[in-house]
Amino acid sequence: MSVLEVRNLSVHFGGVRALEHVSMEAGEWEIVGIIGPNGAGKTTLFNCITGFYRPSKGKIRYRGKSIARLPVHKRTALGIGRTFQNVGLVKNTTVAENLVTAQHLEINYDPWAGMLGGPATFAEESRLRERADQLLELLDLSDVADARVADLPYGVLKRVEIATVLATDPDLLLLDEPGSGMGPEEAHALGDTLLELRKEFGITIVMIDHHVPLVTQVSDYVYCLNFGEVLAEGRPEAVRSHPEVVRAYLGEEPEAEAETASVPDADAVSEEYV
Amino acid sequence: MTETLPETPEESTRELPPVEAEQVTEATRVTEAVDDTDDDAAPFRPGIGGWIARGLIWALLAWVVFALPGNILSPFELGVSDVGHASKAAIFAIIGLSLNVLIGYTGTISLGHQAFVGVGAFVSAYVVVDMGLEFWVAVPIAAAVGGLQAALLGAISLRLTGLYFALVTLAYGLFAEETLFGITAFTGGEGGKNVPRPLGFEDDYTFYYLCLAFLAAVLWVDWRLMRSKGGRALQALRENPRVASSYGINVKAYTLMAFVVSGIFASIGGALLAQQSTFLVPKTFSFQLALIFILMTVVGGLRNRVGVVIGSVVFALLEEGTLVHLLHLEGILDSTIGLPAEFFGLVIGPILLLLTITLYPGGIGQQIAPIAQWLRGRKFDIHAGKVTEVEVTDVRA
Repeated sequence: MSVLEVRNLSVHFGGVRALEHVSMEAGEWEIVGIIGPNGAGKTTLFNCITGFYRPSKGKIRYRGKSIARLPVHKRTALGIGRTFQNVGLVKNTTVAENLVTAQHLEINYDPWAGMLGGPATFAEESRLRERADQLLELLDLSDVADARVADLPYGVLKRVEIATVLATDPDLLLLDEPGSGMGPEEAHALGDTLLELRKEFGITIVMIDHHVPLVTQVSDYVYCLNFGEVLAEGRPEAVRSHPEVVRAYLGEEPEAEAETASVPDADAVSEEYV
Repeated sequence: MTETLPETPEESTRELPPVEAEQVTEATRVTEAVDDTDDDAAPFRPGIGGWIARGLIWALLAWVVFALPGNILSPFELGVSDVGHASKAAIFAIIGLSLNVLIGYTGTISLGHQAFVGVGAFVSAYVVVDMGLEFWVAVPIAAAVGGLQAALLGAISLRLTGLYFALVTLAYGLFAEETLFGITAFTGGEGGKNVPRPLGFEDDYTFYYLCLAFLAAVLWVDWRLMRSKGGRALQALRENPRVASSYGINVKAYTLMAFVVSGIFASIGGALLAQQSTFLVPKTFSFQLALIFILMTVVGGLRNRVGVVIGSVVFALLEEGTLVHLLHLEGILDSTIGLPAEFFGLVIGPILLLLTITLYPGGIGQQIAPIAQWLRGRKFDIHAGKVTEVEVTDVRA
């Protein structure tokens, strides 16, 4: 049984078709990559899976159970964790505090008991902090544990975000551009980290990224979205060299094809990205 | 009032000096830089002289709070009415903390907080006068009813956000003032109601310490709230509801919780206020009071316990004309400008609000930050309040 199953998902905002009949799947322990040009609907797909958007049509199943009607925090409780494209962290506080906040559902005292300062809460608080420190160490972030989020650079924050999602104890990790703001070497290191995390926690990962080498490095299966539809899917190498994908990214005309499929302006495409 | 704050240096969040520009370029190098500064900052311990100086200031503060209004060891012969004002200041501090839970921690504004306070006052008065029960029973009942009315109002109005939510609270405040508090059987109507003080706390001096004790309790709950599950949830959802919900936080439920906590604090303040004035009339809880509450909380400094307490004390004293009286300014205000001292708070309040929002968004809390840090055993740093986490856009309405 697949961990995540999306069937015929459509999202319309008024006349705009953000997603149209998108189907995808992620199996146990799999790392699934999602690529596609800007505006292809990748983040919209994540927003449907985590519950920020209500899809117009289609089904979303998590471990065989339909989750389309659940609010966001209940999906987190089921084990769906996500990161955000523009860094989803509480900025006015420290890194460690974010990880403690993210353990919200793991806390075994009542918020009212915490308010009155019951003795059990103090022990639990130090346990939460320990867990936060463990996760930070795992991601090599111990140095910034007590730094304010707002003071840290983007690249570090992307890693902090991964540590924070892990603190929610997810089974399925949705990463929205984890490699953005990183150089090729850092991205490669991130890839290694992701493979390690899968081993350590036994989690399934769905990852959006423009960094095609990173996606190729870690993914077992790749989907390429374009204009809200699945353009291609398959093994990373196959998708990477798929003529439609190359065209969507680079705007190149594969020799024999003279189809009128509209070509997006592939802004900011460099060697490294395809 | 600062020493009632049970904060220790280890528990306060550490503020790191800003990372230098050249180090921002590479992630790994910044990590090292932050580490370095951390090592430098940690080992600072004041010398013996430093501790004595701090101890003296603490003692002075303790004397001002505990001894001065109680006439113990006080060089001034304070009149009874002045002590009554000190009680009122402590009660206002409780109300300021109540509003801080909403505006500061949750980021929602209540323009009808006088109703929250009023409900506490009238319920407590009803329990004591009409049911003939003890004050100690009346306070928990008032707190429970206050929490309940906040839950009801919240459950209905939190479907709205921003300005419309503020309008609902405003309407509720006016409804309570005009209708709810006008029910003769409950409040005594226009004629008001005599509320006897609890046994052993009849005179103004002992009653002041009773108010202080309640303030200490509220400060404790507020402090624990912000260092536990609920407070962290509020902080996350105020800043970014989407991120909060992705952490598994039920945004609506926790906003409602903040409402209930605020309602409970306000009702406790109200119950004390009923006892403090000993004569309760519905007119007391007018919209003007709600304005003062908001002014004192924001000017005091959102999310800054000490700041909110100081701000509330200042406005409580301004409202009674005590501060004006202490500074010998009545002559000038009354005769020269023609402004009665009681209205001084409403005149100076908006000016202070303007200055706060433009110059010191963190309010009094931000301005006293260097001293507060120093008193907690850290180096005196005049720039301690420069990096404030309170922003002008924090209050959404």
